[in-house]
Amino acid sequence: MTNDTSTGTVSAPKSAAPEEHLEEQAFKLSEWMANQGIFIFTAALILFAAVFIDGFVSLPNITDVFNRAAPIGIVAAGMTFVVISGNYLDLSVVAQVATAGVVLIAVSNETSIPVAMLVAVVIALAYGLVNGVAVGVFKANAVIVTLSTTFIGLGLLRWATGGSIYFGPNDGAIRAFGATRIGPLPLAMILFVVVTLLLSFVLTRTTFGFMVRSFGSNREATRLSGVSTPWVVIGAFTVTSLAAMLGGFVLAAFSNTAVSAMSDGYDFAALAAIIVGGTSVFGGRGSVLRTLLGVVFVSVLTNIMVLSGLGFGIQQMAIGLLIVLAVSVDALARKATGI
Amino acid sequence: MTDTQTQPQHAETDDDRSDLISRVRTILGRRTEGRAVALLSVVVVITAIMEPIVFTSYEVTLGRIALIGLVALGLTAVILMGELDLAVASTLAVSGVIMASFESLPLGILAALGTGLLIGVVNAFFVIVIGINSFIATLGMLFFLRGAAFVISGERPVRLTNVDAGIAFGQPLIGPLTPRMLIFIAAFVALHIFLTRVRVGREFYAVGGNREAAHDAGIPVTRRVFTGFMISGFVASLAGVINTLERTAADPTAGSAVLLASFAAAIIGGVLLNGGRGSVFGTLLGASSLGLLQVALTLSGVQVDVQNIVIGSVLLLAVITDPSSLRAAAGSMRALVRSRAGP
Repeated sequence: MTNDTSTGTVSAPKSAAPEEHLEEQAFKLSEWMANQGIFIFTAALILFAAVFIDGFVSLPNITDVFNRAAPIGIVAAGMTFVVISGNYLDLSVVAQVATAGVVLIAVSNETSIPVAMLVAVVIALAYGLVNGVAVGVFKANAVIVTLSTTFIGLGLLRWATGGSIYFGPNDGAIRAFGATRIGPLPLAMILFVVVTLLLSFVLTRTTFGFMVRSFGSNREATRLSGVSTPWVVIGAFTVTSLAAMLGGFVLAAFSNTAVSAMSDGYDFAALAAIIVGGTSVFGGRGSVLRTLLGVVFVSVLTNIMVLSGLGFGIQQMAIGLLIVLAVSVDALARKATGI
Repeated sequence: MTDTQTQPQHAETDDDRSDLISRVRTILGRRTEGRAVALLSVVVVITAIMEPIVFTSYEVTLGRIALIGLVALGLTAVILMGELDLAVASTLAVSGVIMASFESLPLGILAALGTGLLIGVVNAFFVIVIGINSFIATLGMLFFLRGAAFVISGERPVRLTNVDAGIAFGQPLIGPLTPRMLIFIAAFVALHIFLTRVRVGREFYAVGGNREAAHDAGIPVTRRVFTGFMISGFVASLAGVINTLERTAADPTAGSAVLLASFAAAIIGGVLLNGGRGSVFGTLLGASSLGLLQVALTLSGVQVDVQNIVIGSVLLLAVITDPSSLRAAAGSMRALVRSRAGP
C-alpha cells in the first residue's frame, strides 16, 4: 500500500515534495490528467454537446439530465467514502437503492411516509452494518462481500414484492417532490447538491472524515495511531447505505413508481463518476466535490449517447471503458510520482 | 499458520503420540478444503432426507455441477495468484454470441475461444502492466464486454446456424456423461496436474504467496499472471461455447448467475482470495456442494430469488469464515475491546 498521507482536496494539485522540484520539473501528463483532467474534460464534453448534439441545450433536456443525475449523484457522493477508505466500491447499492424506493412507495401506501422512511433507514443501517462488519471486522474483500449482499438483498426484495411495480398516489407528497422544480433545477438536484456539500464537510472537516481518508492512505499507520479501524469501515459503509437510501427515495419520487429492477447499473455508474472525478480507487485520495463533477461528466456523456440514438449496449461499453481508462490514468500517475 | 508448536512440554511417554497428532494437524492445517467438505456433507445429508430424487436424477445434478464448476476452475488459477477475474461472466456471454454469429461451427468455436484468450491478455495487461487493481480492471471489463455482447447480438439471443450439432452435443456420449461433463472432467484433471505437477503451475502458488519473493527467486511474475488470466478467460469462453451448443442459441445476458455461483464455489473450496493457498480439488468440492444445493432447491420448488438469497448467504459466510478472516476478526475484536476500555 501507499505511505502517502497527504490527501488531495478539491483544487490543490498533488505536488511532490518541494525539495524535488528542481529535478521534477518535467511535465507529467498522466499525473496532470489524474488530478486536473476532469475539469477540462467536463467542460469540453458540455461544449461539444452544446455545439454538435441537437436538442442538448433545451430546458426539457437539461431538466432530464438533472433528474437522472440526481439519484446516481447522491449514491456516488456516499460511495465516495467507501472508495476513499480503500475498499474499492459497494456493489450492493443496486439492491439498496431499489429496496429504499420500493419501501418508500409500498410502505407509505399502506401507512404513512414517515413510517416508510423509518423502515428504509433501518434497512440502510442494516446494510451498512453487514457490509461494514464483514469488511471492517473480518477484513473480507469488499467486492466479494458486497457482491453477495447484492444477491441476498435483491433476492429478498424480489421475493417480497414478486417483481411487481408499485405506484404512489397521484396527489401525494412523493409525487409533489419529484415534480417540483425551480427553473431547470428539480428539487432532487438541489437535494443532491446539499448532500454533496454535507458529505464534503463530513469528509474534510470532521474527525470521522479524517479517519476515513487516513485509513485509505495507510491502514496500518491508522490502526497503530489508536484509531478503531473497524468502526471507520462500518462508518464508511453506513454513509454509503444512507446515501443509497436517499438516492432510492429520489429515484422513486422522479417517476412516482418503484420496482426491484429500477436501479440496474447504479453500481457502475456511481463508480465511474467517482473515479472519473479523480478519486483514487487505491484509497486515501479524492473528494466528494470531485464526485459531483464526475457525475456531471457521466450524466452528460450518457445523455449525448441517448440523444444520438446509441443503444443500451454501446452505453454499457462506454461506461466500462471509462472506468478502465480513468483508473489507468490514475495508476500511471501513481507510477509517475513513484508512490 | 498452524498451531503445531503449542505443546512442547509433554511427558516423554506422550511424545510419540503428540508427534503423530501434531503431524496430522499440520497436514490438516495445510488443507483449505475443510469448509467445502463440511458444506458438502451438510447438503448431502439434508438432500438425502428431504429430496432423495436429487441423487436418482444425477444427470441433472452433474450437469449443474459442471456448469458452475467449469468457470470456477478457471477462476481458481487467477485467485491462486491473489488476483480476481470478475469479467468471466461477460466473457462467457460475449464468446457465446461471437460463436453463434459465425456460419461455420468450427470457425465459430475457434473465434470464441480466441476471444477468451484475448480477453485474458487484456485483463492481465491492465492488471500487471498498467498496475490497476484486478477487481476494478475486470469490473470495468465486465461492463464493457456485457455491452459488447449486446451490440454484437443486436440485444437479442442469437440462434445457432447448425442446430443439429447443438442437439447432438446435449446427448450422453459415454454412459450417462454428456460432452459438457466430460469437458469439465478433462479441464479439472488438466488444471489439477498443471497446478500440482507442472513447474509453471506450481509457480502460481509462489506468485500468490509472496510476489516480491517470487520475483526475487527468478519466477517471471508478469508471464505467470498473463498465463493465469488467459486460463480463466479461455475456460470462461469454453463455458460460453458449451452453453451456446446446449441451448442452440447464444444469450447476451448469460452468465450473471454463474458469476456468483462460480466465485462461491472457488471461495468455499478454500481458495484464499489473497492468493497462495487453495486447490482445484477444493473448487470441485465447492462446485459440487453448490450444484447439489441448487438442484435440490429447484426440485423442491424454491423460487430463483430465494435460491439467490441462499447462494449469496453461503458466499458471504464462506468469505467471513475464511481462516484469515476469522483471525482478523479476533484481532479486530481485541482492538475494539481495548479502545472501549481505553480513554
